[in-house]
Amino acid sequence: MRLATVWLDGLWDRNPGLIQLLGLCPLLAVSNTVDNAIGLGFATLFVLVISNASISLIRHLVDEAIRLPAFVLVIATLTTSAELLIQAFDYPLYQSLGIFLPLIVTNCLILGRAEALARREPLLVSTMDGLAQGLGFFLVLVSLGAIREWASDTIILAALPPGAFIALGMLIALHQAIQKILKRFRSKPQPNTQYRRVRTTGDIP
Amino acid sequence: MTLRLALFGLIAGVFVSVIYVITEPMIIESKEEARTKRLYSLAEPLLNDGRIGNPVNEVLTSNAPVSLINPLPVTPINDGELQIGAVIPFRALDGYSGTIKLLLALDRERRIVGVRAIDHKETPGLGDKIDTRKTDWILQFNGLRYVDLSPTEWAVAKDGGQFDSFTGATITPRAVVNALAKTLAYVETHPEIVGGEK
Repeated sequence: MRLATVWLDGLWDRNPGLIQLLGLCPLLAVSNTVDNAIGLGFATLFVLVISNASISLIRHLVDEAIRLPAFVLVIATLTTSAELLIQAFDYPLYQSLGIFLPLIVTNCLILGRAEALARREPLLVSTMDGLAQGLGFFLVLVSLGAIREWASDTIILAALPPGAFIALGMLIALHQAIQKILKRFRSKPQPNTQYRRVRTTGDIP
Repeated sequence: MTLRLALFGLIAGVFVSVIYVITEPMIIESKEEARTKRLYSLAEPLLNDGRIGNPVNEVLTSNAPVSLINPLPVTPINDGELQIGAVIPFRALDGYSGTIKLLLALDRERRIVGVRAIDHKETPGLGDKIDTRKTDWILQFNGLRYVDLSPTEWAVAKDGGQFDSFTGATITPRAVVNALAKTLAYVETHPEIVGGEK
């Protein structure tokens, strides 16, 4: 049951790209082509899953004082490793991702999941949450990339930075519209009071 | 707790070091591969007979244009002992979004074998048409020699020259054509760079 909510949250109800609006900077910047979106999506997924798992493993060893530095250390280590691995196995991808690969460190989605969930939950739930949230982010990134690449043939604006904002706005609107329809059919899920987060879209609980 | 954090740091350091040691030879290999692949696609017509030599740094004279860095890293193409051409980097400093880095392959008669934009930040959909991933615009220089056109013809059509620019973007092609013309003019007076004689 817990795992089902974790998956539903990551992919739809609390999708990082459409509801939590985390990791917007890479989401908007790297979504100009599908190839780039897939590459960065995978790199982020990789870092997020392993960071959630390792933070869950060390959760009893850290107290309030060293929590943040320890988490940032974990995330930075994983990002550096991901960067080295992509450089070794797919150099052209490394070149086209440019600065956004090392900047995964600053993707607030990753630290956000560590803070919100992985530091209190056991290994399995944390890993699944990393997978679900990472996949949710991946799907939004790739959809945005596909829309922009397809539209840029006719509308140059779609390939430019403003196009990213407009396309993401439309995706969010679509998500909200579907959510509204879905709500009529399913009973409203109880708001999760275990953790609170500032939300910028969606219903205020 | 501080000690514990230091321990975490140590573990993280060891982890990254291990990955680094494993991937380092692979990274060097992929970098080299990416470089030769680029050179191959650029200087293909020369490579039926020729082989890519080791890059040498050529010290340029003081009248060298800003499109060339000094010393200039020249990659010679050799057929046995004979240099039959070279690949040289050049740059257009006045792109729409900063410097455009390019590569130029010439044969020893100073005929253009290929030109490629290898690094640029030109606007997607507009200026980035200089990139072969988007259009073939940059291939129109192939086969040309600097002396085939008068200096005024080495410019975009809008400036009275021979070369088309793209709708909505003149600055990028203008920067490329001008930098290319300056580079070719310099090589014309220093043919030894590409293995030619004066």
